[in-house]
Amino acid sequence: MAKKVLSMEEKNERRFMVLTPVISVLLALIVGAIIIGCLGKNPLVGYSAMLEGSLGSMAKISKTLERACPLVFTGLCAVFAYKCGVFNLGGEGQFIMGGCATAAVILGLGVDGPGALALGLLAGIVAGAIWGLLPGIMKIARGLNEMITTIMLNYVAMYFMEYIFKNAYSDQGLPKTIAIPQSARLPQVLGTHVGVIIAIAFGIFIWYVIFRTSFGFKIRAVGMNPIASRVNGFPVKRLVLLAFIISGAIAGLGGAIELLGKTPFRLADGFGSGFGFDGVAIALIAQLNPIGAIVVALLFGVLSTGGTMMQSVIGVPTAIVDIIRGLIIIFAVAGMASVRLPKIKAFLATWGARTNKAEANA
Amino acid sequence: MDFMATLPTILKAMTMGAVPLLLTSLGELFSERAGLVNIGLEGIMAIGAFVGFAVGKFTGNLWLGLLVGMAAGVLINMLYAFCTVTLCADQVVTGMAINIFAPAIALFGYNLFVGSNSVNATGSQMASIAIPGLSSIPFVGNAFFDQTLLAYLAFVLVPLVSYFFKHFRAGLSFRSVGENPHAAETLGIDVVRIKYVACIVCGALAAAGGAFLTLCYTPIYIDGIVMGRGFIALATVIFGRWSAVGILGASLLFGFFDGLNVALQAQFQAAPVMFFKMIPYVFTIIALVFFGSRHTGPKANGQPYYREER
Repeated sequence: MAKKVLSMEEKNERRFMVLTPVISVLLALIVGAIIIGCLGKNPLVGYSAMLEGSLGSMAKISKTLERACPLVFTGLCAVFAYKCGVFNLGGEGQFIMGGCATAAVILGLGVDGPGALALGLLAGIVAGAIWGLLPGIMKIARGLNEMITTIMLNYVAMYFMEYIFKNAYSDQGLPKTIAIPQSARLPQVLGTHVGVIIAIAFGIFIWYVIFRTSFGFKIRAVGMNPIASRVNGFPVKRLVLLAFIISGAIAGLGGAIELLGKTPFRLADGFGSGFGFDGVAIALIAQLNPIGAIVVALLFGVLSTGGTMMQSVIGVPTAIVDIIRGLIIIFAVAGMASVRLPKIKAFLATWGARTNKAEANA
Repeated sequence: MDFMATLPTILKAMTMGAVPLLLTSLGELFSERAGLVNIGLEGIMAIGAFVGFAVGKFTGNLWLGLLVGMAAGVLINMLYAFCTVTLCADQVVTGMAINIFAPAIALFGYNLFVGSNSVNATGSQMASIAIPGLSSIPFVGNAFFDQTLLAYLAFVLVPLVSYFFKHFRAGLSFRSVGENPHAAETLGIDVVRIKYVACIVCGALAAAGGAFLTLCYTPIYIDGIVMGRGFIALATVIFGRWSAVGILGASLLFGFFDGLNVALQAQFQAAPVMFFKMIPYVFTIIALVFFGSRHTGPKANGQPYYREER
């Protein structure tokens, strides 16, 4: 296949698609360091503790990977929906419902073995898809803003999970479910569960679907311009609904994998909490690129597991990690918007032309 | 359940639940009238709730807490304003960024403020003022006329805001910016300035709504205390059809669902109470499904404004 010739502008845009998130991460880390410094602690010691705590040994790396695994799914969930112009903020609810359905099927039917594992994963996907379908129907039939409905459904899912772990399948009245039987858990590979590999493979698969298939093209077209898509004869409503369903299913699968793969293999308070918004952040930082989402999810995993170590070494609350995350997304959003501003665009174009000429001369 | 006996409890909880929604959605009304859909309310409320709580506790002056909380809300919303108005970033994306960033700051501050010092965990609350005479009206008296001053102020804001948008030159400028900013600019209205002012008002009011939660509702701050109220406030604006009076009605309705949840929880303690807790969220959806669609707000809502664009 002949290499596609990119215009100067496209080349510039691509460069900024990669550059902006990287610069945002660096800036956020610098601001984070300033905050740590203002508290009278040494940021360099803190950051090295963070790296040590997240990537210092095989066990720590696998812990980081396990932490990043659900974020890959909620991130992909957000990416897929936004590619179709749907702002799904319900990743958390869909993730939780996936976990609930998996628990209900395995614990309710009392099954175990690989069959139960497959059944559990399927139940998670279906439940997530249904939880994604609901706001989709509401958007298409009644024109409701999906941002509000998905958030409301997050809370409904959260309380439903409370019912599952407190009433339905409670472990001797304690606020947690009975653990998933050993034989129905995801197998371990290289010190981590196989879900991590599924997540990465799945991310590449989603990238392929979005950027290399005609279905993905239609999804993107609807996201960019629904009216033009309708003029072209694309079934816009069906595609939007499908985007909701698929995005929900991805999050639901994530919930099932989290339950079946990660200790303690049970539902309890806090399961999936915050993963939905983290997914949104990941999608936005990754510029809606599924492969990028995997990378950003891994970064978030490093921040989370390393944050605990940083707290114990220099005594800065782990919430600093949340601030750094928030800063990354703000810088990324502001950065992407500012390179599109007419004035800055013109400036960058002349600057880009100069560097390109310099490259050609060299 | 003896409905008549629990009605005052429900109504009391209704007004308590309605006030934060009312304050926040009035703020959002300013924002949306100027063409800015701010979905970062949840984050601004969290900041308002935490700063109000912390400053109120630290200084012992709850009103100072409220003011500083509002100032913090304005500060956070200035980030939103800078990104959306000056940089023309996508409003939804920026709002989400605020929703992620602001609660993180609040949580960080909380960890520093309370952390190992558990004395700081519980703040104090504003006293409620009963209006003599009116507060003894059966059923509604206790609910509406035995409130904190902040709640009264919130209700008083409604006619003021309504009047502002209908009869004031500035209010009309706001509306024109939300409907057609280019036309507004040709009439000599400074669109960018109006948008910034809208963000200041929105940040202050949303933060006040958040501060109400820690200064009047419960005396503590916990991460996630806002519990989706920022998004319910967005629904309130839609449901109230972008008018101050409509918003009052809508926030009372959503407050009623909240009150119903509280009353039912108290009544049936043995039942799985989580299903009662779902009520506000489920009914917000139901209310929107039946009454909230097909009413579009200001025409230029959500669109970035490029001044040079033709």
